Amino acid sequence: MLFQSRHPLESKIGSGSSIRAVDHLEIPRSVAIATVLSHPDETAAVVAGFAAAGDLVMRNVAPGEWLVLSHIERSDSLERRLSGLLTDIADVVDQSEGRVLLRLSGPNVRRILAKGVAIDLDPSAFAIGQSVNLRCGHIAVNFARSGENEFELVVMRSFAESLLEDLLLMGREFDLSYGFSGGLADPD
Amino acid sequence: MTGYRLPNSGLVDRAATLEFRFDGKRFTGHAGDTLASALLANDQLLLARSFKYHRPRGLVTAGVSEPNALMTIGSGARTDANTRATVAELYAGLEARSQNNWPSLKHDVGALNNLLSPFLSAGFYYKTFMWPAAFWEKLYEPLIRRAAGLGRAVLESDPESYEKCWTHCDLLIVGSGPAGLSAALTAGRAGLRVVLAEQDFRLGGALLSETTTIGEQTAPAFAETVLSELGTLPNVTLMPRTTVFGWYDDNVFGAVERVQKHVAQPLAKLPVERLWRIAAKRALLATGAEERPLVFGGNDRPGVMTASAIGTYANRFGVAAGKSVAIFTNGNAGYRTAEDLARQGVGITAIIDTRADAPSRSAEALKDVRIIKGAGIIDTMGGQRLNKLVFERSGYEEVIACDAIGMSGGFNPVIHLACQRGARPVWSVELDTFVAPDVGGGLSIVGAAAGRYSLSACLADGAEKAATIAADLGFAATSYEAPAVGEEVDPSFTALWYVPGAKSKAFVDFQNDVQARDLGLALREGFGHVEHAKRYTTNGMATDQGKLSGVNAAGILAGMRGVSPAEVGITTFRPFYTPVSFGALAGTARDMHAAPKRVSPLHGWAERNGAVFVEAGLWYRSSWFPREGEKTWRQATDREVLNVRENVGLCDVSTLGKIEVFGSDAAEFLNRLYCNPMAKLPIGKARYGLMLREDGIVYDDGTVSRFGENHFFVTTTTGLAAGVLSHMEYCAQILWPELDVRFTSVTDQWAQMSIAGPKARDVVQALVEDDISNKAFPYLSAGVVTLKGGLKARLFRISFSGELAFELAVPASFGESVADAVMEAGRAHGICAYGLEALNVLRLEKGYVTHAEFDGRVTPDDAGFGRMVSAQKLDFIGKRLSTRYGLTAADRMQMVGLKPVEKDKTIRAGAHLLKEGAKPSTINDQGYVSSASFSPVLDHDIALAFLKSGRERYGERIVVWDRLKNEETVAEVCEPVFVDTQSTKLKV
Amino acid sequence: MASLIHCPHCGIRPKEEFTVRGDASLVRPEPDASDEAWHEYVHIRANPRGRTREHWQHLYGCRRFLVVERDTVTHEVYSVTDGAAAARGGSR
Repeated sequence: MLFQSRHPLESKIGSGSSIRAVDHLEIPRSVAIATVLSHPDETAAVVAGFAAAGDLVMRNVAPGEWLVLSHIERSDSLERRLSGLLTDIADVVDQSEGRVLLRLSGPNVRRILAKGVAIDLDPSAFAIGQSVNLRCGHIAVNFARSGENEFELVVMRSFAESLLEDLLLMGREFDLSYGFSGGLADPD
Repeated sequence: MTGYRLPNSGLVDRAATLEFRFDGKRFTGHAGDTLASALLANDQLLLARSFKYHRPRGLVTAGVSEPNALMTIGSGARTDANTRATVAELYAGLEARSQNNWPSLKHDVGALNNLLSPFLSAGFYYKTFMWPAAFWEKLYEPLIRRAAGLGRAVLESDPESYEKCWTHCDLLIVGSGPAGLSAALTAGRAGLRVVLAEQDFRLGGALLSETTTIGEQTAPAFAETVLSELGTLPNVTLMPRTTVFGWYDDNVFGAVERVQKHVAQPLAKLPVERLWRIAAKRALLATGAEERPLVFGGNDRPGVMTASAIGTYANRFGVAAGKSVAIFTNGNAGYRTAEDLARQGVGITAIIDTRADAPSRSAEALKDVRIIKGAGIIDTMGGQRLNKLVFERSGYEEVIACDAIGMSGGFNPVIHLACQRGARPVWSVELDTFVAPDVGGGLSIVGAAAGRYSLSACLADGAEKAATIAADLGFAATSYEAPAVGEEVDPSFTALWYVPGAKSKAFVDFQNDVQARDLGLALREGFGHVEHAKRYTTNGMATDQGKLSGVNAAGILAGMRGVSPAEVGITTFRPFYTPVSFGALAGTARDMHAAPKRVSPLHGWAERNGAVFVEAGLWYRSSWFPREGEKTWRQATDREVLNVRENVGLCDVSTLGKIEVFGSDAAEFLNRLYCNPMAKLPIGKARYGLMLREDGIVYDDGTVSRFGENHFFVTTTTGLAAGVLSHMEYCAQILWPELDVRFTSVTDQWAQMSIAGPKARDVVQALVEDDISNKAFPYLSAGVVTLKGGLKARLFRISFSGELAFELAVPASFGESVADAVMEAGRAHGICAYGLEALNVLRLEKGYVTHAEFDGRVTPDDAGFGRMVSAQKLDFIGKRLSTRYGLTAADRMQMVGLKPVEKDKTIRAGAHLLKEGAKPSTINDQGYVSSASFSPVLDHDIALAFLKSGRERYGERIVVWDRLKNEETVAEVCEPVFVDTQSTKLKV
Repeated sequence: MASLIHCPHCGIRPKEEFTVRGDASLVRPEPDASDEAWHEYVHIRANPRGRTREHWQHLYGCRRFLVVERDTVTHEVYSVTDGAAAARGGSR
C-alpha cells in the first residue's frame, strides 16, 4: 500500500496568493524536525555534536532542549542520524509530522510580527540566528530570525491553520502574500 | 457668545472646505478643524444638555478634558457615543448628534429637572430611591437611566476592525509640546530609539496655540522645523492620534492609536484603532498643564469657557468665541488671552481680576480695555446663549454685556499617568496645585507637567532631562538648545477655589452637575474625605474623570474644612486617562480569532465521511457521522454503537495527549506520578494509569506504554493534556529534580485511530505486515509495526469500548490516507466511522469512566479502582492524603450503575438521587448521576451515578430527581457495567 | 503583577506567557511525615503582603518552572531564577 502524505495547510493554502507581494509567508512542504533532549550535564557535548554535523539547523527551546531542522533529510533519516550522533548524551524524538514551519520575509515583517509577538524584534535585541519559544497571539511557537527581514515560526500541527489565519490578518495591512515553497507566487 | 471664523489666523487649511452635519443640519468647516472648532465657527453654541439638570451647555475646553460637548458620531453600526467634539477631527461627511435631550437639544423636556433642583441635591438618589427595595430595579433605575444620560450604544455588531501591537523603545515621550519636542530632538540626535506619542492629530501641543516667537519663527513654524528634523531620524517614531492611557508595571505603557477614526470610509486593510503596548526603558511625561475653571454663579452657561480654550480656538483654529469677550482671571495668564484676541480684532469687554493687588499690565493691545481688580462674577444671563455677566466688587454689583467669558483659574499639571501606579500626588505650595511625586527612574516628568510653565523653561527642561536619560542609557548626548523665546506668559496666579456671592448655580463638575454647595452638603453629612465626597456627590465620576473638577473640589473641601488642600488630597488616578473603546481592547481577538482552533490530522477524513463536529476545548472533534435518512444525532449514534458491537468502527482519538518519556529514572518517575505501579511494566506492554492530585483525589487517567528500558509513552485525556504535561514538568523540575527523566509532547506528531469491534483484527491485519493475532499481540500489547508499503506505525491493543480494539498511530500527515485505507479494508466487514457520541455510549455501556466521573471530588475507590492503588509503593503523588478518614469513610458516594425500572423512562446526567418517598433536600441527597445515555444494545437508558455506600446497594430502587426538567424516574441500582459484563469480547 | 518577566532562559517576556503555580517555598514532606505537615503542605497557604517567592511556569517559552521573587504591594520583581536549580540546591 502506498499512503499519501498531506500537509496540514493543504486545503487552506491550495495554490496560495496569485501575486507574490514584497512581504511573503512561505510554507516549505517538507521539513524534517526532531526534538533533542540532552541528558543531564551533556548539554555542551550535544551542542558540539550539532556543530560537528555542520548542516543541521538548531533551534533553542529550553535548557537542554532543541528542535533540529533539516530541509534536505527525510524525517526518519534525520532521527536516525541524530540518534547516532548523540548516542548516550541525548534522546531524539521525530516531530516532523507534529510541527509545521512557516517563513515570513519582507521589509515589513517586523511590523507584522509585532502584532502578535511581544519581544523586541530590533536586530540589536534579537539577532540573526537567534531562536526562542514564545507566544504569537494565542499560540505557542518556536521563533527564529533567519535573516535581517526573515523569520521562521515552528508551530504545533494542530494549531497551524489558526496561526496561518492570524498571520494573514496581521499581514493584511501590507498585502502579505502566502503559498507553499515552489508555489505559483514563489519565483524560486 | 457669537462664534465666527477669524479672517487670517490659525492653522486650518482654508482651501479645504469640509461639509458635515450636526443634529441633521448641514455645516462646513476646514481641514485641521475639530468638530468643536467647526461648530464654534458656525456659531453653534448649544451642544449638549447636562447629565442631571438637563441644563443647556456649550464648549468649556478645546481638548481632552471637555466635560460638556459629548456627541454621538457616525451612523448605523459605525456609531460612537460620548465622543468629545473637542478632540474629534473633522472630516467630510461627519455626522454628529447631540445627546441627553428630548425631543430636541433646544427644547428639552428634561430641563424641568432644573426647576426641581432644590430636591435633586447630592445624595438625592441614595436617599430617595431606597425604599421599597423592589422598586429600584423595576421603576427607579429605568427612569433614572432614561432621564440621566449619555449617548446610547448601538446594538449592531461593530463592523470596524481593531488590532494590538507591541513596540519597544529606549525613550517614550508622551506629549509633543515644547518639552516633548526638545526632548525628542535631544534623544533622537543621540541615537536613542524614541517614540513620541501625541493624542492630538497634529503634533506640536501648546506650540500650536502659542502666539510668541521662538528665534525668528512663530511657535507653530518652530514646531514644524523640529518635526521635520525628527522625521528624518530613522530611530524616532512619531505617533500622532495616539493617546497614552496607562502606565503599567515594568514601564509598559498602554496607548491607543486612532488610525482611521478621522475618515468617512475606513480602508478595510487597516484597523480603525490600534492598541499599543509600549515597553520603554525610560519615559518622559510631557503632558503639559490644564487651565482651571473658576467656580462662580452661572459658570456653566454656553459662552463660558476656559481662557486658554478661547485662545486655542482663536490662535490655532482661527475661530473667535465671541465678539465681546470678558476675561475672568485670578492670574496673569488671562491677560495674555485678552491680548491675543485683541490683536486679532476680537472685542474685549473687560478683564475682571479677582486680585485686588493685581500687577498693572501695559500691553498696547489692552490699552482701551477696562480692567476691574478685586472683583468676582456672581451671575451670568442669557438662557442658552450668554449675553450678560454680573460682577461684584466691594459690595457693589454691576452688569456688563458680553457674549463670551474666558475663565482663568490657574494651572494644574497633567500628572495622571505618573500617579496610576500607587504614587499619590503631592501639594505644591509654590504652584498652588498638586504635582507628581518622584515616581522612580522609569518615568520623569518634564515641562509644564512638572510645573515649569514658561515656554523657554519647557524647551530647556525637555532637552536637559532627555540628555540625562541618554547618558544613563550609555548614549553620548548634548542637550538641544532652542532659540530664544519672545514674550513669555507670566503664569503666576492667586488661587481662588470659589467665587463668593454666587446668585445662581456654581458648578465644580460640569458633566455630573456637581455644585460647590453639593460638596458642602457632603461635608456636613460626614462625607468630607475626598474619596467619600466623590462618591457622595459624583464629583469626578463622569467620563472626564474629574480632569477639570478634581483640584477645584479638593480646594473647596479644604476651604470648608479650614485646612490646606494638601490635607484633603485628590482622588486616585487610574487608567484609562481618556476612554478607550472595547474594540481596541479586544483587538483582533474576536470571532474566529478569539481563540485558536485545533484541527485533528484526521479532520479531512472525518469531513469526507460526513462528520458533525463539536468543540472540545480548542479541538474540533467528530461527534457523529449521520447517514442518508438519519435526522437526529441519536439515530446516527445508535447505529454507530450497534455497528461497533456487531462489526467494527473507526474513531479518531488523535486529540488524546501524548507524551514521550525518557531517562534512566523514567520508570521511577512514572511510578511516583501514577497511583498504580508502573516500574515493572514490561517492554511492549500498555497499562491503564490513574493519576491523583496530592490531596488524594483523581486527577487524570490514561495509558502508559513501555517501548524500552528507559523509554515510555504516556497518554492523557484530551481535556487535561496541557495540565498533565505541566504537572509532570512540576514534578520533574521541582519535586524530584534528582531523577534522570525528560519528556516532550508528541500529541501533534501522531494521527491516532481506534479500530474497535469483533472484526477489528481482520481490518487492521489487512494493513499491517506484523502478526497481530491474539497470541502474538494480546490484550494490552504496545509496539511499533510496519504497515504494508513500509510506513512505520505504533499499535496498541487497548479498548475504550469493551470490544476487541486496536489503537493505530501513524505519522500525522499520513493519517487521512491510512484512515481511508482502513475504511476500504473494513468495507467488507461493514465498518463505519463513529464519533464522540458513540464513543461515550460504548464506554458507558461498559462502565468505563471519563472526566464526567472524575470531576475533582472522586477518589479511586469511589470509582471502583480502590484495588489499583498501590499499597507497596513508598510514595506517589496523592498517597499520603488518600488514606485520610474523609476519603475512606464507608458512606462515601461510590460509583454504581442505574437502570430505569420502567424501561421507557429517562435518566439525565446531573440529576440527584433520593430514597423513595424522601423529600428533595440537601440532607436527603443520596448522590448524583454523572453520565447517562440511551443504550441501543439494551434499548433503554443507562447511567453511571455516585451513591452513598453505593456498592452495598445493588438491587435497591432509588428515585432519580431532575429539578431542571421536573422529572422523577425510579431506577434500580446495579453494578456499573451493562454490556458484556464478563468482558468476554475484550481479550479474544 | 509585573507586566514583564525576565526569564533566565528566554529573555524579557510579557506576563501572558506565564502561569503562576504558587508559593515556591513549600517543600514536599517525606511520605511518613505527620498529618499536620501534609495538611500544611497541601492545604494551607499564606497570602503575604510584600516580598514573596512564587513558582511561575514559562508556559509559552521554555516551560521551566521559575522562582519569581516579587513584591505583592509594589509589584517589583527582585529576581527570576530557574526552579529546578533552586530545588536541587535545597534552597526552597
